[in-house]
Amino acid sequence: MNPSAAREVFQKIATNISRVIQGHAAPTRKLLAALASGGHVLLEDFPGTGKTTLAKALARSVDAKFKRVQFTPDLLPSDILGVAIFNQLDQQFHFHEGPIFTNILLADEINRASPRTQSALLEAMGEGQVSVDGERRNLADLFFVIATQNPVEFRGTYPLPEAQMDRFAMQFTLGYVQPADEVAVLTAQANNHPLDALASCVTLADVTALKHTAQNIRISDELKRYVVDLVGATRSANGVQLGASPRASIALMKAAQALALFDGLEFVTPEQIQELAVPVIAHRLVMQPQARFSGLTARGVVEDVVKKIKVPA
Amino acid sequence: MKPPPFLLSVTLLFWGWQSDLVLPGALMAVILESALVFRTRWDLSEDDFSKTWSFCSLVLLSAVVYSFTNNEGPSSFATMFDDLSASNQRTATVASARTAAQVIRWLPMIFFPFLAAQTFSTRESIPLTTLSLILQRRWRKAKQLGQPLPPARGFNVGYPYFCAALLSASFHPSEDTSFFWGFCALLMWVLWTQRSRRYGIAVWIVLLAAAGTAGYFGQRSMAGAQAYLTNHLSAQWLANFIRRADDPFQNRTSLGLVGRLKMSDSIVIRLQPETPKNVPAYLREASYRLYRGSTWYSGSSRDYIDSIAEEQPAPSGNWPLLSDKRTASRLNIACYLDGFDKGSPAGLLPLPSGTARLEKLAAYTVDRYAAGSVMAHGPGLVLFDAHYGPGATFDLPSGFGTVTNLRGRRLYEESGLGRFEPHGDWASSNDPPVFVYSYTNEDLAVTPLEAAALDAVVDELKLKGRDQSETLRVLQQFFDNQFKYSMWQSPPRSSNTNQTPLARFLLETRSGHCEYFATATVLLLRRVGIPARYATGYSVHEESGDGYVVRLSDAHAWTLVWDETHKVWNDFDTTPAIWVEAEKKNRSPLRWLKDAWSRFTFEFAKLRNGQGNIRGYLLWIIVPGMVLLLGQIVFRRGRKRRKDKKSDADFLAIWPGLDSDFYQLEKKIAARGVPRSDAEPLNLWLQRVEKSPGMETLREPLRELIKLHYRHRFDPHGLNAAEREKLKAETKRCLELLAQSRSGNS
Repeated sequence: MNPSAAREVFQKIATNISRVIQGHAAPTRKLLAALASGGHVLLEDFPGTGKTTLAKALARSVDAKFKRVQFTPDLLPSDILGVAIFNQLDQQFHFHEGPIFTNILLADEINRASPRTQSALLEAMGEGQVSVDGERRNLADLFFVIATQNPVEFRGTYPLPEAQMDRFAMQFTLGYVQPADEVAVLTAQANNHPLDALASCVTLADVTALKHTAQNIRISDELKRYVVDLVGATRSANGVQLGASPRASIALMKAAQALALFDGLEFVTPEQIQELAVPVIAHRLVMQPQARFSGLTARGVVEDVVKKIKVPA
Repeated sequence: MKPPPFLLSVTLLFWGWQSDLVLPGALMAVILESALVFRTRWDLSEDDFSKTWSFCSLVLLSAVVYSFTNNEGPSSFATMFDDLSASNQRTATVASARTAAQVIRWLPMIFFPFLAAQTFSTRESIPLTTLSLILQRRWRKAKQLGQPLPPARGFNVGYPYFCAALLSASFHPSEDTSFFWGFCALLMWVLWTQRSRRYGIAVWIVLLAAAGTAGYFGQRSMAGAQAYLTNHLSAQWLANFIRRADDPFQNRTSLGLVGRLKMSDSIVIRLQPETPKNVPAYLREASYRLYRGSTWYSGSSRDYIDSIAEEQPAPSGNWPLLSDKRTASRLNIACYLDGFDKGSPAGLLPLPSGTARLEKLAAYTVDRYAAGSVMAHGPGLVLFDAHYGPGATFDLPSGFGTVTNLRGRRLYEESGLGRFEPHGDWASSNDPPVFVYSYTNEDLAVTPLEAAALDAVVDELKLKGRDQSETLRVLQQFFDNQFKYSMWQSPPRSSNTNQTPLARFLLETRSGHCEYFATATVLLLRRVGIPARYATGYSVHEESGDGYVVRLSDAHAWTLVWDETHKVWNDFDTTPAIWVEAEKKNRSPLRWLKDAWSRFTFEFAKLRNGQGNIRGYLLWIIVPGMVLLLGQIVFRRGRKRRKDKKSDADFLAIWPGLDSDFYQLEKKIAARGVPRSDAEPLNLWLQRVEKSPGMETLREPLRELIKLHYRHRFDPHGLNAAEREKLKAETKRCLELLAQSRSGNS
C-alpha cells in the first residue's frame, strides 16, 4: 500500500468516527496512530465523556471482529481467554475461545477486575498470544485493545501496576468537548444513536496494510536520538522515582511513524514526536510520593522535558 | 549608565600624573581608546567576565601580599605579637597603613583587565552575578529547583572604575592642590553630561563653583588640622617614653627589685659557628663605665661614636671594625634589630669579644660606640658573619673621661677620682653653669655610696696588695663559695633600709642574679685599682641542631677586666655557673611549641629581610603564577572553543541537512522579533510567525520552504540536487519577501 492510499484509509476512518464523536479530532488522531503502530490504548477519563463510544466507533468503522468485556471484580481469566469444555458426545475437551480472540477488544473499566484477570489480558497484549491448557494460541494479526478506566472511583478498584501500564503504548484522555460540539452531540442523538447507523468504511486487510505502511515510514537517526533524549530525560527528572523504559522509546518512535503517515508524510518530523510525547511517556513514570503531593504530575514532567530538550529543526 | 567618551582615559592619565605612574596610566588610556579605532569586539560570556573578575581579585590579593611584605608588615606584626609595646603596635599600624595606601594607588591597574574586557566585548553591561557570589548561588539554586530565575541585573563598569581611579589618585604623594582641581574638573565633566535641563547653564555653573570653593577651603582647613595633630600629637612623642634596654648609653639594672625576675625564653639570636662547637661563651652587646643608683652609664664613652664605612662597592655588606686585626674564627649570627631609632629598626649587635669585621650584614648604617657596642640600622632582622679572635677589641682603652652632671655632685666629689669644673662661657650668660666632672680614670670610678660595703669585702678578702691574677682568682672563689645564684630577692629587713641593694647583696643576702655579681665584681676590682667595666649581652650554651640558640632568658651581665700588659679587655664572669641550670628550671613545658613558632617566624623573617630580598622572591613567585593563571584562563577558553568546534564538526558529520539555507531565514525572522526557542519545532514557530504583523505574505512560501527543509533534514532519503537548488532559491525568495515586507512596513 502506498502512503497516499494509506492516508486515505486514515482519513476514511477519521471521518467515519467524527460522525459519531464530535470535537475529538486530536484523540482520534492518537487513537488511529496507536492502531497503525500496533500499540494498545488506555483511555482514562470521567464517565460519560465518550470513551466507549470512541472505541465502538473505531470498531465499527473497520470491518473487523469487535468484542467488548466489561471488567468486574469477579471476572476470571478464563472469562477473557476462553475455556476448554468437556464434550460428552465425543468425550473430548473443546476449547471455547474467549473474547480476546478478536481484532478490536474494548476492555471497559479495566481497573475493576482483579489483578489476576488484568494480568491475563496484559500478557496477551504484550505477546500477541495466549496459552490455555498448555496450548499456545495465536491471536489475530490485528489485535488492538482499547482499555478504559475511570479515575474518580477508587472503591472496589485495582489500579493497574506501573509495570502493566507500560504495556499500553498510549494513555490519553478525551476531555470535555466545546459547548458548540456538545450541542451537536445533543442534536445528533435526538432521535437515535448515530453509532447504530455507522457502517464500516475500511476492511481488515486495509488496516493490516496500513500497519505495514506505517512501519516503513522513514525516521532519521537524529530524530531517533531526539526520542531517546526525551525518554532518557525523564529518568533524571526531578520528582520522578522511575523513568520511562526503552519500551517507551520504541512506542514513541512507532507511534510517531504512524502519525507521520496520518499527516501525509513519508518521514517523521519533530512535530509528531512532540505531539505524542505526553500520551506515550507520561503514564509510564512513577512519581515520588512527595512530588505527587507537591502537585507535580507525570504529565507536567514530560511537558517540561519537551520544553527543555533542544528540538532538531 | 555609560560614562562619556574619553572620560576614563583622561581620568587614568590624571591618576598616572598624581600617583607618579604616568607611563602605566598613559598605556591604559591608549588601550582604552584604541577601542575607537579597532572595531573588533569579542563575544565574551558571563563565564569569561567571571573569570576576569577572579583574575583581578587574585591580582589584588597578590598586590596586598607583595605590598605588605614590602612595607615591613610581617616583621612588624611578628614583633608586635612578640612584644605588645606601644611602639611595636605603631610600627605594625604604619606597615598596614602603608600597605593599604600602596594597594589603593594600584587599584586602577589591578582592575583594568575587567574594564578592558567590558570595553572590548559586545556587551554594554556586565551581569551582577559575575561579581556577587551570593547572587550566583541564588541563581544556581533556583536553576536546580526549577524555580523562576531572579531577574538578571547588569551594570556598566565605567563609573565604578572612574570612582576607584579618583580614590586611587587621592593617595598621592604631592602636597599641592593639583589633585583637588583635577578632581573638580573630572567631576564637572561627569556632572555636565548628567545635568538637569530644567535649570540654565549659568545656575549650574554658579552652584558648581560654590561647591568647588567650599570644598577647597574645607579641605585646606582639614589639612591644617591634620598638620596640627601630626606636629603636636605625634606618635613619635609617645614612643619616647618607651626606651629599650639595648641602649648603648645606659643600662638600668634590676638591682634592688624585689621578687622573682621574669624572663621570657623566646629565642632572640641564632648562631651558626664555622666549625662545630666553636662558639664564644659570651655575646656582648654593650659595656658601661659608670654606676650610679642601680643604673650603669656609658659615661664619657657616649661621645665617642664612629660611623663604620661599608666596604666598597656599596652594598657589599662588609663592615670593618678593626681594620688591622687578623682573626681566626667566624660566626654566623642572626638577630632581630628590635629597637627603633630615627624612624627605622635599629639595635645593638651581639658580638663575640674581639670582633674585628662584620660580613654580609645588610644594614643601612653601622655605628661603633666607644663603650664597646655596635649599633646597626637596618631591616628588622639581620644575618651576618662576625670575624673574631683573641686580642684587640674595639673598646676604648681604660683611661680618662668626663661626664656632664649637675645632680649628685657630692657623690662624684667624694669618689676622689676627679673634680667638677664649670663648663663653657657660663659667666656671661644668665643660665646656671654646666658642671663637668673629669675623672682621672672612669674605669676606676666607684660610687661613694657603695664604698663602705666594698671596703668591707676588700678587707675580708685581704685584696689590697695582691697582683691582678691573684685578685681575680680570689674573687672568683669568693663568689663561687659564699654566694648563691637566685632569681628571688626577699624584701630588706626594716632596720636596714638605707642599705643599697648592692651592699645588701655583698654583706647580707649573698644571693642574687648576674647583674649583682657583675656589678659587685666591677666595683670590687675598681676598689683595688684594677680598671673594669660592666658588660651586658648573652651567654651562649644551648645547642640546637648544628648551631646554637640564644634566648631572652640567656641575657647576662659580666665583667670586663683591663689587662694592662696586653692592653686588652678580658671577660671575667663571677656569676656561679649554676645560673644556667637555675634558668632552666623556669622553662615552660610548652617551650618546644614556642621554639617551633620562633623557627617559623625566623625563617619567614629571613626570607623577608635576610640576606636576600623578599621582593625578588615574591615577584618570582607571583609573576609566573599570574602568567600561568592568565594563560590557563585564555588557553582553556581556546581549548574549549576548539572543543566546541570539534563537537560541532561531529554534529555536522552525524546529522545531515544542517547546511540548509533555511537557517539564514530563521535568523532574519528572529531578528525581526520572532525568535524560536530551542524546544520549539519549526511548524509551531511558523504559526507564530504567521500571526506576527508584516509576515502575512510569507505564509505560503514559508510553509513550502519548511516542508523542503524538513525533507532535507529529516528524510533519510534526502533531497536530490535539483531540490537542493530549489531549497536555496526558495530561501532566497523568502528573504526577498521579508526584506520587501520590512520596507513596506517602514
